[in-house]
Order: sequence, then C-alpha cells, then structure tokens
Amino acid sequence: MAGGRFYQNVATQAIAMTPHYGEAIADFVEGIRLVDLWGRMGWAETKRRYRRTVIGPFWSSFSLAIFVGTMGIVWATIFKIDPKEYLPYLTSGMLVWLLLSSFITEGCAVFVAAESLIKQLRIDYSILLFALVWRNLIAFGHNLVVYLPVALYCGVPFNANLLMIIPGLVFLCLNGIWIALVLGMLCARFRDIQQVVASLLQIAIFVTPIFWSPAQLGRARIALADANLLYHYVEIVRDPLLGQPPAVESWLIVGLATIAGWGLALFLFGRFRRRIAYWL
Amino acid sequence: MASIILDDVVVDFPVYGVQKSLRRMLFGLFRRGAADKRVVVRALNHLSMTIRDGDRLGLIGANGAGKTTLLRVLAGIYAPTLGRVHINGRVSTLFITSPGLDTEDTGYENIYTCGRFLGMSKAEIARKLPDIEEFSELGDYLAMPVRTYSTGMLTRLGFAVATAIDPEILVLDEGLGAGDARFAERAKKRVETLLRRTNVLILASHSDDLIKQMCNRAVLLDHGRVINDGTPDEILAQYHEMLKRAQTPQLTVADDAPALT
Repeated sequence: MAGGRFYQNVATQAIAMTPHYGEAIADFVEGIRLVDLWGRMGWAETKRRYRRTVIGPFWSSFSLAIFVGTMGIVWATIFKIDPKEYLPYLTSGMLVWLLLSSFITEGCAVFVAAESLIKQLRIDYSILLFALVWRNLIAFGHNLVVYLPVALYCGVPFNANLLMIIPGLVFLCLNGIWIALVLGMLCARFRDIQQVVASLLQIAIFVTPIFWSPAQLGRARIALADANLLYHYVEIVRDPLLGQPPAVESWLIVGLATIAGWGLALFLFGRFRRRIAYWL
Repeated sequence: MASIILDDVVVDFPVYGVQKSLRRMLFGLFRRGAADKRVVVRALNHLSMTIRDGDRLGLIGANGAGKTTLLRVLAGIYAPTLGRVHINGRVSTLFITSPGLDTEDTGYENIYTCGRFLGMSKAEIARKLPDIEEFSELGDYLAMPVRTYSTGMLTRLGFAVATAIDPEILVLDEGLGAGDARFAERAKKRVETLLRRTNVLILASHSDDLIKQMCNRAVLLDHGRVINDGTPDEILAQYHEMLKRAQTPQLTVADDAPALT
C-alpha cells in the first residue's frame, strides 16, 4: 500500500476555537420552542416503565420507601434522634438527592447516549438537556408519593413554607440544565470523566447532609456542610418539604451558582458546540 | 431561492486514543521534534462548490471519497473544521426516515414525533395527516402501537411521513427504502412528487440508475476534493474510468490542518 499513511497534523499553534455564542443561544431558544418534542421524549421514558407493569415508575418509589423505612429507623436509633423527626428529614433529603444526582449522572451521558441521533439529524442539543431534566422531574413527582404519608404520620407542619418548593424545584432544574450541559460536553470529549463523577457521587451522598444534619457536626459544620454546593441545592427543596422557612444562605449560594454555572456553560457551549459531533 | 455555497471547506475527523502509540511510531520514523502532533483523518480537503436553486445534484465517488461527510456538512450535522458553508433555505435530511420512532407509541403518535423531528410544525402535521394516512395504507393499524407492525408496515409509515415534508433543500444518502414491490411503484410516484416540491436535491449514491433518474447535475469526489462537475452521464463515465485504474483507497496528507481539541 504505497501511498497509504496516516495523516499527521503538525501545526504548532493551536488555533483558538472561534466562539459562536449566537449559535449557542439560538440552540436554546429553538430548544425551548420545541417543548412538545422534548416533553414527549421525557414522558416516553416514563411510559415505557408503565407498560405492562402494575405500578411502573412507582417501583423506584417502593424501593425508596423500603430504604427510608429501614435505614431511617436504624440510624434514628444510632443517632438517638426521635424517628418522627428523623424520617421526614431523611426521606425528603433522599428525594431531592435522587433528583440532583440523576441530573449529574445522566448529564454525563446525555450526548454520548444520543450519538446516533446527533450524527444523523441536525438537532438542537438543548432538547436533549430539557428532556433529561423533565424526565427526572417526573420521576421526582412519583417519588413524592412516598414522602406524603411519612410527612403526615410524623406531623410535618403543612404551612406557607411549602410553596417555596416551586421556586426550589425551578432553580434545581435550571441548574440541572447547565450541569448536564457542562458534564455532557466534558464526558463526550474525555470519556474518563464519567467514571470520576460516578465515584465522587458515591462519596458525595455521605459527605452531604442527607443521612445526618449539620447540627450534629458542631463546629466542623462550616467545613463540611456549608462548603458543599450540593448541600445548598438539597436545602432549597428540602426545607419547604419540611415546612421550614427558606435558608437565606443556601438561596444566595444557589443563586450565585446558577449565574456562574450558566456563564460557564454558555462559554463552553459557544466555543465547543460545533465540536460535539466530532467528539462522539 | 435556495442555495448552498461551500467555501474552501475542510473537515478533519480527530482520531482519539490513537495518539500515544502512533506518536511513538512516528518518532521512530521521522525523528522530528514533534511537540503537537494530532492524528486526524481529512474527509474533505479544501472543497468549494456552489449549489443553486433547481439543482438536483448527485455525489459520485468511491468509498472514502467524502460523499457521506459532505452530505452531513450540507445538513448542518458537522460544522467544517476550516472554511465556510452558507446555507440559504431549510435543509431536510432523510438519513433516518423515522427519527425518534418509539415502538410503544401508536402509529399516529409516531407520525407526530417523527414529523416534528423532521422539522414539520404541529399545524403542518395536522394538515398532512389525511395524506399520510391514505398513502401508508395502514388503516386501523395506525391506532396500534408500532411494535405490532411488520417491517414492511414500518417502512411504509416512515416513508409516508418522510415524503410528506416540504423541503427547500433535500439531502439524501442513497434513495429512500420503499418496501415491497407494489408499494415500490406508488413510492416512486410519491418521491417524484416530493422532488417536484423541492428546490434543491443533493443525493449520494452508488447506483448509476438512481443518479441518472433523479439528478440533473453531478460531481465526482475523490479524497475529499471535487474532481469534476458536469452532467450525470459525463461524471458517471469518468467515475467508471477512474475505477478501472484505481488501486486501494488512500488517505490524503496535508500539512496545514489546525490543532483542535
């Protein structure tokens, strides 16, 4: 094979990726308009789990209920906390954590999983992100069914603070989108990142106050709890569920994270959106 | 007036995961201080062309010549590594005739989903639904989940939806699969009607007959470059001539590719 040789690129200067922020924004604008498409995509997953099963997506709620029921009693006993106080805290925390961690885990795979679609059809990447968030929000809704009886039985106050769950969820989803975008792009380019994220998430559930409350830490609270961004994401939805007033500190941090995160996401998306198809 | 202009387009596909071992090999062969070598495959090599309204363009070339890559650049799936593409008009691609097909959904639901993926608006789908129903000849099956369909029925459904679009620029990789013989005859007519509605067609094919049937212009591609541009008959003749003389496919070498992530 006389002439056949691999092509070599010997350019010594990296050409800066020309940013196309206009395209990045247009992608999102068009994605929002295609709400019926990603709405269906999100439901399709849920429907699939419903088909020919008796309780469908509630199976995951069932396993959540078992986990919370058993471990709730065990840990409440170990920590010497009244179960009626601990169970709602654990349940609501787990609920939100499952939503948040699904954004992170599925976010890593969002572009890789859609490789065949992306290479055959010109789509706006944002519809994949919106479908991801919507799909997991539906799952959250199903899991909420587990929390209601727990809250009622344990005497969680149902007051006006519950309304804060709406902005809480809105902001969690807004952040979910940029997190999925950044992680999705990183993992499309560097496949190892998915493994790293999975490993970190495994420890994160213990390091974040889900099974324990910051009050139990005492003075070490600042380091472990407050510095953990994930803690604040959980707080903004957990507090309303527990009938507690919003934590100003958490809201401030989440607000900052939303702005900074979207800035980062748009920056990366503007620069690398055109490369995604090449990475897959 | 639909048109596409390709201006000095280069498409380099990065080959990840090959670098390390290849670099060792290259260091051995070339003994150059190679700090920033990346391995890429150049699919399109400084390609320029203009496609005008009314063109029914056939892309002809051997495997690896760059036909599929060019189609995908025209479709907006791959942005060129270097150079520019100016697309004037809406591009519809039919690489997959049923994008987003969900086997658990009914025929009607899939008509809607696939239609949306193919770029039709809700109103457009509603308006064309009777036509799609009638052409697919699926009758009551349309209310059943698509997983109950035979392959032929799936093809008819996908085909019916795909040919219901109103493309300004239509990009096809080979023809559209049409199913059984009786259906093929009706399908042929439907494709002709579709083409009459289309301003620009770009078709890549290995089938001489298909190109002669559907195209009024053809380009010959080789190693990511346009070798010639003319009528389908001319280009096909030149292509066959080239095949007789050809050896194994070769990758092109170029020195000016940019280092990209």
